[in-house]
Amino acid sequence: MNTFTVSPSPHIHSGDSVKKNMYGVIIALLPTLAISIYNFGLGALVVTATAIAACLLFEHLIQKFLLKQETTIWDGSAIITGMLLAFNIPSNLPIWIIVIGALVAIGIGKMSFGGLGNNPFNPALVGRVFLLISFPVQMTSWPTIKNTFLSYTDVQTGATPLSVMKEALANGELPTDVLGQIPSYRDMFLGLQGGSAGEMAGIAILIGLAFMLFRKIITWHIPVAVLGSVFAFAGILHWIDPMMYAPPMFHILSGGLFLGAVFMATDYASSPMSNKGGIIFGIGIGVITVAIRVFGAYPEGISFAILIMNAFVPLIDKYIKPKRFGEVAKKK
Amino acid sequence: MNQKENFLKGFFKENAVFTLLLGMCPTLGVTSSAINGLGMGLATTFVLVMSNIVVSLVKDMIPDKVRIPAFIVIIASFVTVVELLMQAYLPSLFESLGLFIPLIVVNCVVLGRAEAFASKNNPLSSMIDGLGMGLGFAMALTMLGSVREFLGSGKIFDMVVFPEQYGMLVFVLAPGAFIALAYLIAIIDKLKKA
Amino acid sequence: MAKTESNLINMVLALLIITLVAGGTLGMVYKVTKEPIATAKLAKQKAAIESVVPGFDNNPTDETYELTSAEGYQLEVFPCKKGSELLGVAISSKTMKGFSGEIKLMVGLKPDGSIINYSVLEHKETPGLGSKMQEWFNSTEKPSQSVLGKNPGADNLTVSKDGGDVDAITAATISSRAFLDAITIAYNTYTKEGGQK
Repeated sequence: MNTFTVSPSPHIHSGDSVKKNMYGVIIALLPTLAISIYNFGLGALVVTATAIAACLLFEHLIQKFLLKQETTIWDGSAIITGMLLAFNIPSNLPIWIIVIGALVAIGIGKMSFGGLGNNPFNPALVGRVFLLISFPVQMTSWPTIKNTFLSYTDVQTGATPLSVMKEALANGELPTDVLGQIPSYRDMFLGLQGGSAGEMAGIAILIGLAFMLFRKIITWHIPVAVLGSVFAFAGILHWIDPMMYAPPMFHILSGGLFLGAVFMATDYASSPMSNKGGIIFGIGIGVITVAIRVFGAYPEGISFAILIMNAFVPLIDKYIKPKRFGEVAKKK
Repeated sequence: MNQKENFLKGFFKENAVFTLLLGMCPTLGVTSSAINGLGMGLATTFVLVMSNIVVSLVKDMIPDKVRIPAFIVIIASFVTVVELLMQAYLPSLFESLGLFIPLIVVNCVVLGRAEAFASKNNPLSSMIDGLGMGLGFAMALTMLGSVREFLGSGKIFDMVVFPEQYGMLVFVLAPGAFIALAYLIAIIDKLKKA
Repeated sequence: MAKTESNLINMVLALLIITLVAGGTLGMVYKVTKEPIATAKLAKQKAAIESVVPGFDNNPTDETYELTSAEGYQLEVFPCKKGSELLGVAISSKTMKGFSGEIKLMVGLKPDGSIINYSVLEHKETPGLGSKMQEWFNSTEKPSQSVLGKNPGADNLTVSKDGGDVDAITAATISSRAFLDAITIAYNTYTKEGGQK
């Protein structure tokens, strides 16, 4: 089967292909994987390998037996889904739960809609949110970093900075006091914080982002819009009442914000086609993320925010059309 | 159309849930377990049969312009009867279905059958139509309830199939209702075409 | 029979007759079901009391009285007696500190204030986390998470994270705190206001 790429005209072939871009993303994810293994040891490796293997297997089985297509599992997209799913779950998650997550991500999130390029929602996030709602206990017991390198399930667990903050604020403590109980900004940026397997190290994800920008796999619009709007919205709240709301830098550096903004919001099939649309999309994600973190029941909201904005993509694409090649702006 | 066809059409050919996509509110709202689905389905069946009979009996007496309010009053009366009876004799089922019982009034299936079938046919065919449609609705709700209860908590009609800790909680909650319904419709559609 | 024409008189008449018949029917059904409904409600309340203070032979709903807690909540107290001996009281308690608002409990206390059993009546906590209150705190296998037999006066009824004697529900500390808060409210109100009655 040929792989068609949907894009606005003109259709100039630049040597891009689905495969080349997908493997570029995988390379960009490697620094994050390295930090994850450094932090969580064997657990990170087991979780990532399981998720990738399960995603490949389910995609193959569904294509072969349900859709009766030729299998395209080596185009790299299932590997990315597997890696992103693994980076979004705790590194001590039991294997059977990871397999369910992979089945949901590939089966419900991707293949039900017709496979690569047709999925309106990011498959890895569909899997992740499904698991979060289905197995809340396992999905919110994160192992603490660097305790025992070789153990997998039997590890000490602890809260993430976000959940510490959420609980403390609900208890009436001051944000400034809470900042003393959690890792410093520098440590958080370097990845020395608890959390899902691949979400804690801002620096590793930024390296991946630089690589993807350099290879022109993605443009800067969506990540910058997400991070910028989180900073702005959290900043406004903090400025209105510093006693009630955490400072904006905390929101930027904690949780899965970097991972979501760089790798998941930029997924080709589920983000807007135009750059202007991408900025609207990114701002939506940023605002919803902060709203869920601050006012919602869950401590982290980036995955819900991306899924919600995914649903708006067709609408954004309808009203923000890419500029036609050769078009001259109308004079007023 | 003979009466047998008239009865059977409610199960697959014109099934309210799987084919017509009517009555989605109770379908998604109460089917967190098989017994809830069955209870809701049977309550709706009762209302559907009774209102179909009455509507078809009085159809000539009601002037056209006020037929919808008249139908609604008839349906609402039967729903209230069901609600009171259930509260009195099946209090535990009433507690889990709760809010959704009064909402049978606005279930499109009931008004839809009154308007599309009972107001044009004789009482016997209307009763059979109501029975078929209602039982088809009950069947669909029970199926959806069973799937959700099984995947969500490892039980079917409260019989343990696998330990509850392995259940996928999402299926007991609202999002799981949408997911399970979508796949059930897809499977049934496939079977109908085969 | 010909179709009735849609003129004003016919419309008014038709609707009038239908509503009259409907009203009459409903009135009848209401009268018939009134008593069974009341009985069912009483039976439910009695079952809830029975589950938290087993073994009484009086009719606690007849001797019920109300107490006001320090927070201003109206708590209903149901004294449960066997013969003339007071086995304990069932108190309906509540708290607003739940993860998603209100939690209502029925707590059974012995006359000295130690907990016999409890039953969660109403809550909006997260399914799978806070919603495990009913099973979690009366586990017979894991005494460190059970509140049964403990006395809020002697034991420290707070979650172990806050230095107390009760293990919180995994990943649901806020719901656990709220649950213990509701129990403590029942205890405080009963011992201060109406103990040994």
